[in-house]
Amino acid sequence: MARQKEQDIEALKERVLKMGSLVEEAIRKAVRSLVERDRPLAIEVIDGDAIVNALDVEIEEECIRFLALWQPTGSNLRFITTAIKIITDLERMGDLAVDICERGIELLDEPQLKPYIDIPRMAEAAQKMLKDSLDAFVAGDDELAISVCAADDFVDNLNQQIFNELLVYMLQDPKNISRAVRLTYITKYLERVADHATNIAEMVVYMVKGKVIRHMACEIRPEPPKAQG
Amino acid sequence: MEVPTVTQAIDLEVKGLNFYYNGNVHALRDISLPVQKNRVTALIGPSGCGKTTLLRCFNRMHDLYPRHRYEGEILFEGRNILSDKEDLIGLRSRIGMVFQKPTPFPMSIAENIAYGLRLKGITNRTELAGKIEQALRHAVLWNEVRDKLNHSAYDLSGGQQQRLVIARALAVEPEVLLFDEPTSALDPISTGKIEELVAMLKQDVTIVIVTHNMQQAARVSDMTGFMYLGELVEFGTTEKIFTAPDKKQTDDYITGRFG
Repeated sequence: MARQKEQDIEALKERVLKMGSLVEEAIRKAVRSLVERDRPLAIEVIDGDAIVNALDVEIEEECIRFLALWQPTGSNLRFITTAIKIITDLERMGDLAVDICERGIELLDEPQLKPYIDIPRMAEAAQKMLKDSLDAFVAGDDELAISVCAADDFVDNLNQQIFNELLVYMLQDPKNISRAVRLTYITKYLERVADHATNIAEMVVYMVKGKVIRHMACEIRPEPPKAQG
Repeated sequence: MEVPTVTQAIDLEVKGLNFYYNGNVHALRDISLPVQKNRVTALIGPSGCGKTTLLRCFNRMHDLYPRHRYEGEILFEGRNILSDKEDLIGLRSRIGMVFQKPTPFPMSIAENIAYGLRLKGITNRTELAGKIEQALRHAVLWNEVRDKLNHSAYDLSGGQQQRLVIARALAVEPEVLLFDEPTSALDPISTGKIEELVAMLKQDVTIVIVTHNMQQAARVSDMTGFMYLGELVEFGTTEKIFTAPDKKQTDDYITGRFG
């Protein structure tokens, strides 16, 4: 029976990871559809979100089943509660990928406002945070998780920088406003992706260490192992 | 082992306890832990880890068998109860014990309770009747047995017998109650009643409970000690032990990886 329990945990871990990789892929494609002005790719991402939503429900059911069958304690309990919370963040990130695609499709009605340079950079940083947070979850690596939390500032700063740049476009010509506002939405979505990745990373620290670091100022958190940027 | 800082008053304090039986079998190894007043302390661990052995030290049950030896101290109100001069009858009326299987005496329900009271010198019939009712109410058994106090205790169900035994222990107004797997022979409904009773009783007495049922330990206790091979591996608040224990060995046991 104890082996069955370990197998159930492993299976759950794989499912969460599968959901995570689908979301990573969705965000990657969403940003590509924006940059390459690729409408079919955007529609593919929007349609694909149903799979992520279904996984959210399925994994939650499996977690509840595990709680009922095994009444887990200790590290198993922390794993299950972490999984339940992580999938909520992943599901939201899937929705954000859809939002990016929707704004991207709206932007296709007009010529491109400006070359996209910082948005892909921001997307790349957010995706790396997501990937690292999931790797930390699978490996139970709290140091990697803490480095994800530290990386969030970089994405926040980039968001602010892009906003300032778009503001100049809007001030220059009111005809730019509808496109610039959509682009600020998109950077906000990417900033939210990074926030969700941070949530996942914080839960991983709880899972590994049993310590809650959510809502703690960065100064009193454990130090990240290496510089991030 | 480091013992967490305790704010609650301590009722019993185990200090560097070693216990040997059959002359040289080293069953408890350097155990130190505080048992807090009006709290439930649970001892968990795999079979043979020494939890029942430790429990039996608290009221010197081992003294019923020859060739045992205690080293170290168990302080009760600052006095070492392991001392040779300890009055064991007096000690056991202040530190009572409830066993795994219900152990009613082969007599009526009322007589089961009157027995300990008479030993304490209470013979007045009215006073006895009052104390019997009080003890049965305390153990939440009164409503089920009030009309059959003169029936044999063996007519009761297992769960009722266990509550009768608890009532018997309570009648002599102990300060500490020791429970040795009190529900392992009971069905889930009776188990639930005993657990509720334990939670209620801690207002009046200090409780130490040994259990194999980890969910039970998690539900009823405030503090938990995990024992393995005669040692106290980890001791802390029940919440900590069952959600984020410090020692890997503790986690392996409570998650079911061994034991």
